[in-house]
Amino acid sequence: VALQRLVFQGGALPTKVVCLTQIVGADELKDDEEYEDIMEDMKGEGGKYGTLVNVVIPRPNPNGEPSPGVGKVFLEYADVDGSAKARQGLNGRKFGGNQVEAVFYPEYKFHEGDYDG
Amino acid sequence: DAGTGTRKRKSRWSEEEPKPFQLPDFMKDLTGGIELDPEIQALNIRLLEINRMLQSGLPLDDRPEGARSPSPEPIYDNMGIRINTREYRARERLTRERQEIISQMIKRNPAFKPPADYRPPKLQK
Repeated sequence: VALQRLVFQGGALPTKVVCLTQIVGADELKDDEEYEDIMEDMKGEGGKYGTLVNVVIPRPNPNGEPSPGVGKVFLEYADVDGSAKARQGLNGRKFGGNQVEAVFYPEYKFHEGDYDG
Repeated sequence: DAGTGTRKRKSRWSEEEPKPFQLPDFMKDLTGGIELDPEIQALNIRLLEINRMLQSGLPLDDRPEGARSPSPEPIYDNMGIRINTREYRARERLTRERQEIISQMIKRNPAFKPPADYRPPKLQK
């Protein structure tokens, strides 16, 4: 049962994609400059743990439609070694006052552009 | 050239804090990270220490003659053998502390599984 829970929770089985949750507010992401800043911070800090392949920060729709994954940040690494170190290192850290939770994210979902997991 | 524009500014990331004690990832997910609480860690360490002392069979009260506080009045059993020896009192003291630590840990973490010989303290009116 414990193992099943782990599987369903996701986040415990290592993948190359680390998802940082509850990290940014939608208002910050609407602002282009803020968005760039956050992107830069993510690349800077995330790059310390391994080779970053891709960084995705979902932004809110300008037309006000709900957009999945807003508030999360996705870091894709070249290998699981990098993503595992990043998850370990970033989990529990603070970003702009928010306590960051870092979990592994399913690679197939990430590549399909499904950020709602 | 900090402060010359919006490009160069301080990262929003907090400083990397040294983490006191790391459980393997899978354990952390199971316990919700509660073991990382420093107070619980301290309780845990003391509990292990007491367990070790109680099980070691070594004299529990090893203070030298001069450093001891006065003994209470002796109590004897039916056979005239003293019950409340120094060793007995030391064991009682540790056992009591152990029970208190376990109560504390249950209070902080309802998922904590107490050892099989733990009895919750009797509630007194």
